[in-house]
Amino acid sequence: MARVGVFICHCGSNIAGKVDVEAVARESASIPGVAYSSHNKYSCSEAGQKTIIDAIKENRLDRVVIGACSPKMHENTFRNTIRQAGLNPYMLEIANLREHVSWVTEDRDAATRKALDLVRSAVGKVAFAKPLTPGKVPVEKRALIIGGGIAGIQAALDIAGMGYEVVLVEREPSIGGRMAQLDKTFPTLDCSACILSPRMVDVAQNPNIRLLSYSEVESVGGYVGNFDVVIRKKARYVNESKCTGCLECVSKCPVRKIPNEFENGKAMRRAIYVPFAQSVPKVPVIDKNHCQYLLSPDPSTIEVKEGERKPRRRCGACKIVCGQDAIDFEQQDEFIKEKFGAIVLATGFNPFDHSKYGEYGAGRIPDVITALDFERMVNSSGPTEGKILRPSNGEKPQRVVFIQCVGSRDEAKGVPYCSRICCMFTAKQAILTREKLPDAEVFVFYMDIRAAGKGYEEFVRRAQMEYGAEYIRGRVSRVYESDGRLIVKAADTLAGLPVEMEADLVVLATGSVAREDAFELASAIGITTDSYGFISEVHPKLKPVEIPREGVFACGACLSPRDIPDTVATAGAVAAKVGILFSKDFLESDPMVAEIDPFKCAACGACVAVCPYSAITMEEFRGKKFAKVNEAMCQGCGTCTAACRPGAAQLKGQTDEQILRSVEAVLQW
Amino acid sequence: MVENPEFKVIGFFCNWCSYAGADLAGNMRLNYPADVRILRIPCTGRMDPLFALKALLEGADGVMVSG
Ligand SMILES: Cc1cc2nc3c(=O)[nH]c(=O)nc-3n(C[C@H](O)[C@H](O)[C@H](O)COP(=O)(O)OP(=O)(O)OC[C@H]3O[C@@H](n4cnc5c(N)ncnc54)[C@H](O)[C@@H]3O)c2cc1C
Ligand code: SF4
Ligand code: SF4
Repeated sequence: MARVGVFICHCGSNIAGKVDVEAVARESASIPGVAYSSHNKYSCSEAGQKTIIDAIKENRLDRVVIGACSPKMHENTFRNTIRQAGLNPYMLEIANLREHVSWVTEDRDAATRKALDLVRSAVGKVAFAKPLTPGKVPVEKRALIIGGGIAGIQAALDIAGMGYEVVLVEREPSIGGRMAQLDKTFPTLDCSACILSPRMVDVAQNPNIRLLSYSEVESVGGYVGNFDVVIRKKARYVNESKCTGCLECVSKCPVRKIPNEFENGKAMRRAIYVPFAQSVPKVPVIDKNHCQYLLSPDPSTIEVKEGERKPRRRCGACKIVCGQDAIDFEQQDEFIKEKFGAIVLATGFNPFDHSKYGEYGAGRIPDVITALDFERMVNSSGPTEGKILRPSNGEKPQRVVFIQCVGSRDEAKGVPYCSRICCMFTAKQAILTREKLPDAEVFVFYMDIRAAGKGYEEFVRRAQMEYGAEYIRGRVSRVYESDGRLIVKAADTLAGLPVEMEADLVVLATGSVAREDAFELASAIGITTDSYGFISEVHPKLKPVEIPREGVFACGACLSPRDIPDTVATAGAVAAKVGILFSKDFLESDPMVAEIDPFKCAACGACVAVCPYSAITMEEFRGKKFAKVNEAMCQGCGTCTAACRPGAAQLKGQTDEQILRSVEAVLQW
Repeated sequence: MVENPEFKVIGFFCNWCSYAGADLAGNMRLNYPADVRILRIPCTGRMDPLFALKALLEGADGVMVSG
């Protein structure tokens, strides 16, 4: 007969405030199989755990039920506790009396009855638990980082710095991300390229880092310590090992009028190009949708009449000028299959699409631009070589108006959340405007100023006091053109008056949103996003960079909008977590996997067909066929167990018997 | 029945989604009727129709499977 110990936790007043814990402990004593029951103020505290250990030893308990918070909180804690008392850690069940009872139930008596039922159910289940032993799997000590913005760059350098191999996958031709597009950075106004470029070069030169630019992750299989990843290296039509980065080819390419994505479409590039001067790697890419050569038909596929000459491919100028013979029009997408122990997501964010704000003339009126357009404009290597000019006529603006919260905090047209960085970059851009155009007036329309950060409030004050930016609290209702200038209509909510002013340039502080394909990528990796498309972490406070799929981590703006300091901090945190994982040679695998009794197995193959992880194969031994589970691949879902008619497949720790007993027990009136 | 004025609805909830969702309801202190008793299963794939039959045979007023 099992000897179950039941321990009911008060969780301070979290559970005891709604559930009569003493009554539950008292009643539990008469559940069949229970040899001991008690209650405890904080079971998870050191003293609480000691009480449990002592009670197990004194009462010769062989399995335990703890009525406490959700098993998602402390299951591992309590497994360790009972292990210390000499029990197998899997001889444990947790009754969720907090999240599922005390926090959601109004009536104290009803809560107490429900709590007792859940304890009964747990006792019923644990009574049929069997000791389980985790297996051992080796750890592949290489990290895959997806996204080469400042988040991915920092994580790569930190992980490589610990001596581990890193593969950094970036889908654009160069790493750098959004930070490479910025001019100066708040709150210290250091130049973005000056602090970023050295790190990009470090990535290229670090022997532990392999950079796969112009590449994307196709699929992710496997599990922590042993992910199987397929990476698509897109054809760049330039041989990376031959190219010296002289860019002679670029200057000879005749296709010149392609909007450069890096410049937000505000400057042109050629068909063969690097996105920006400091690109890493400094190897150009041929854009196959615009290259004359690649667009012209392949002569080998053209039939011609006798005597006629086959048409030749057009252009090919880059191939002719390249002294290194690096241009390779025959290049194909390459699929690289590799194993990784850990995966880091660092895919960043997009600016909000301002065209949803028709009333601001966004996308229609040339002198209404976005904050990112402005970053490129003030940057000396940008489309205007750093001059702030009205796009409509190329003249210097007399008055620049900034509008904050475009897309942010606007449930009707945008997103309900605050994008966190826009108050700060607007203050920065106001300062830069006044620095470059001391005679221009600067107005900022804001809802609230959110400048919580080291030196941030001071920075906004500087924009106002030192640089004379005029801040007006209120929402802009309309921007329209009139006589070659812009009219901005708003309400000053502090003065309670309508405002109408002329302006020459309007800059929209567009909020931050998730990358358009974030959900797709997350699904491919088997993780989730929140409703906005930002990657969901395990716990926003205590596990901010861990992702619910073990061995997967995330940093930077793909988690939520954030600035560079926070991005870099999370990148370092990820590196530490990967380091912890890689400090072990072996990982314990979850023992709650399926097993198939070959003597009961009818070899019907039902389990093989349903297993979503292809973990079951048919084996044969001395003429008898039976199904066998690969424990390393089994994810413990139990689908095979439900599908197996003879009951040969059983998910350990969740057997038919355990579940049926827990159903029976919860219904004992 | 006198002791238990509530119904007893047995919920079989997937560990990864609905069970976590019920935890979230707790974290947000959303009150709901005490009639439902949630059992954690590792995945809705684990759900055997037998479990639902067993619950009904044992006197459950309803069965809920969520995942
Ligand atoms: C107008 C503006 C001004 C700003 N000014 C400042 C400032 O002054 N100071 C400050 O601290 N912060 C500023 N920020 C914020 C700053 O840009 C971000 O904090 C920072 O860029 C976040 O870095 P990240 O690496 O997380 O994301 P990103 O910079 O977005 O980088 C993500 C990278 O991942 C790549 N990627 C995306 N998806 C995939 C995929 N599926 N596969 C492979 N690669 C992928 C992208 O191509 C990109 O290179 C500003 C932002 C804006 C919009
Ligand atoms: S000309 Fe050749 S070596 Fe020079 S950048 Fe172009 S591809 Fe590279
Ligand atoms: S438990 Fe799930 S993953 Fe494991 S073998 Fe069965 S069906 Fe496959």
